[in-house]
Amino acid sequence: MDAAERELLQATIGDALAAVDADQPDAVDAVLADLGWIEMLDTARADAVPIVFRALGTTNAMGSALDDVIVAAFGLEPRADLAVVLPPFATWDPPGSGADGSARGLATSRVNSARQLLVVSGDGADLRGAAVPIAAADIQVVRGVDPDAGLHTVQLDLAIAGSEPLPVGADWEAAVAWGRVAVSHQIAGACRTMLELARTHALERVQFGRPIAHFQAVRHRLATALVAVEALDASLAAAVDDPGPMTAALAKACAGRTAGTVAEHCQQILAGIGFTTDHPFHRFLKRTMVLDGLLGSGTEITVALGRQLLTTRRVPTLIDL
Amino acid sequence: MDIADFRRQVYAWLEAHHDELAPRFEPPGTVDEQVAQMQRVKAILYEAGWMRYGWPERVGGLGGSPMLRTELGAALAGRDLVDAGLHSLIEVLAPTLVEFAPPELSAEFVPRLLSGTEVWCQGFSEPGTGSDLASLSCRAVADGDPATASSWIINGQKVWTSLADYADRCVLLTRTGPPDSRHRGITAFFVDMDTPGITVAPLEMINGDREFAEVFFDDVAVPAERMLGELDGGWAVAMSILPYERSSCFWQFIASFYRRLEQLVEIAPDDDRTAEVVGETFVQLHALRARSRITQHRLAAGATLGAETSIDKVLVATTEQATYDAVRRVLPGTVELDDSPAGETWRNEYLHSRAATIYGGTIEVQRNIIARRLLDLGDD
Repeated sequence: MDAAERELLQATIGDALAAVDADQPDAVDAVLADLGWIEMLDTARADAVPIVFRALGTTNAMGSALDDVIVAAFGLEPRADLAVVLPPFATWDPPGSGADGSARGLATSRVNSARQLLVVSGDGADLRGAAVPIAAADIQVVRGVDPDAGLHTVQLDLAIAGSEPLPVGADWEAAVAWGRVAVSHQIAGACRTMLELARTHALERVQFGRPIAHFQAVRHRLATALVAVEALDASLAAAVDDPGPMTAALAKACAGRTAGTVAEHCQQILAGIGFTTDHPFHRFLKRTMVLDGLLGSGTEITVALGRQLLTTRRVPTLIDL
Repeated sequence: MDIADFRRQVYAWLEAHHDELAPRFEPPGTVDEQVAQMQRVKAILYEAGWMRYGWPERVGGLGGSPMLRTELGAALAGRDLVDAGLHSLIEVLAPTLVEFAPPELSAEFVPRLLSGTEVWCQGFSEPGTGSDLASLSCRAVADGDPATASSWIINGQKVWTSLADYADRCVLLTRTGPPDSRHRGITAFFVDMDTPGITVAPLEMINGDREFAEVFFDDVAVPAERMLGELDGGWAVAMSILPYERSSCFWQFIASFYRRLEQLVEIAPDDDRTAEVVGETFVQLHALRARSRITQHRLAAGATLGAETSIDKVLVATTEQATYDAVRRVLPGTVELDDSPAGETWRNEYLHSRAATIYGGTIEVQRNIIARRLLDLGDD
């Protein structure tokens, strides 16, 4: 896609998502399907994933597009009746790696319509994929801090009759990388909205006879938040331009860190109203808390990256001019 | 020349000539040693041609994208062949001459800077003029009618002038309009530092280095043909530095931060606490590098860099400090007590890094710019 096509897609998807009820995952999925999401994922993935997930984040929509990203990254055909078992919160090993032959993890709202679960187990060259009948799994709705995220916990025994092998290659890392790029864009979108909500509030809220946006303490918090969001955007652009497990890990770690920074400053500026459910801020705060844990949290990935530096005793520059 | 080709060739050449280029002193070295090293390296690289890429042919360059010289600077800084802070001063001096000096002046002098024949300094800050550059008061008065005067007489003081004690020339901002004329009454001059009336008094920095100085001007006569840009047009000269300071300089700094983080992980204990600290630094450093890359490609594509580079500035400053904070967290006692050359280097640079949020416009000024210009929050 050229820049003009990207802009058009961005506007189209942004408008379409803004018009649906963000808390209705089926409606969100339907909008994306209508706009040709699955075809885009096949033919223009590097453009479509950032645009779609950023728009999801900006509008606080969730849906189950992440399942499609992971399935497509394995070279399989995404389909509405196949849900992915994601790793447990804050982790990223294949969910079917339990020593007792069990699989545990998370799933999106896709489990509501799916007939089968994609479960990946093993590691490295011994990676195995299986499509398991959904009825065989113990699936529980997660309310948690963000019930509207539509997440579920999944637990199942891998030795289930009726499961079919699915060829996933040895590409767990690549699938995780794509998933991280997607979720990180979603976090970035949510951060932008939090910042815009706080900015608008600062310009409208009058205290001591003038809008609080005039006070340097407030301005500096917003500036700090913008610097963090811009740094995240740069890290995301690097993950798209130079795709790979490490640039994606760095972007996801940066996303977790940025969400914390942005939420802290914006919540402080929004003050009383941001502490209520009358104002939309809380939805974005809670959504980023949940998104941070998908495919590894910022904190856990940061430690893993550090461990990698200490093991190799090298600091790769990864991107060049 | 293609930038990837250039990078490969430079890396290979630097590797082949490493022994010739390597510093001949124990790190961190004194400022005397660092400056001598920089001039020696520049001379070798100018002779070999590398130092001339990315500069226009009319000032002795070989042309090509400015990113070529950025790559070279980063390669030198990333190998500790030069100090990034000192070497990258070229980027805030030479482009000014290229853009604003009469052609014969830049053709004569810029090659001397690039080839390590001369050291130059930048006379901007004054005792009463820190972040508020437009308030400067160092006065230049025409010796006769301003339109026809053959020389200008300068009186006043500059401060925090890096390498003033080593410099042969100075790019100097002076007040030529009324005292309250702010940015409308400033004029730039290219001044020989051996002109009678100039006194340099080095200042010892917090790390013990005497890198910057106070510079006093007492009836210093400067020829009119040394004016850079228009009379009262000095603000444009000062602002023209921004694109290079915020792109090429930063890329060189970033290369040195990567080098330091790598040196840290080479000796750091292999435990979870250390992993978290170096991991955090790596995440920040990578985001900064990614941001700076975008900025440089925008510049190369012809964009005018402006307020958005305040974001780059905040990121560079905070990341530099985070990198050296990581050293203190990971290697307790090194910065504080270690008297080995390695300890001296970490200590010297740790202390120097405290200035990152102060020089070139404080972090508060950058946040003010971000708030007003990028977030559109109105005047403060």
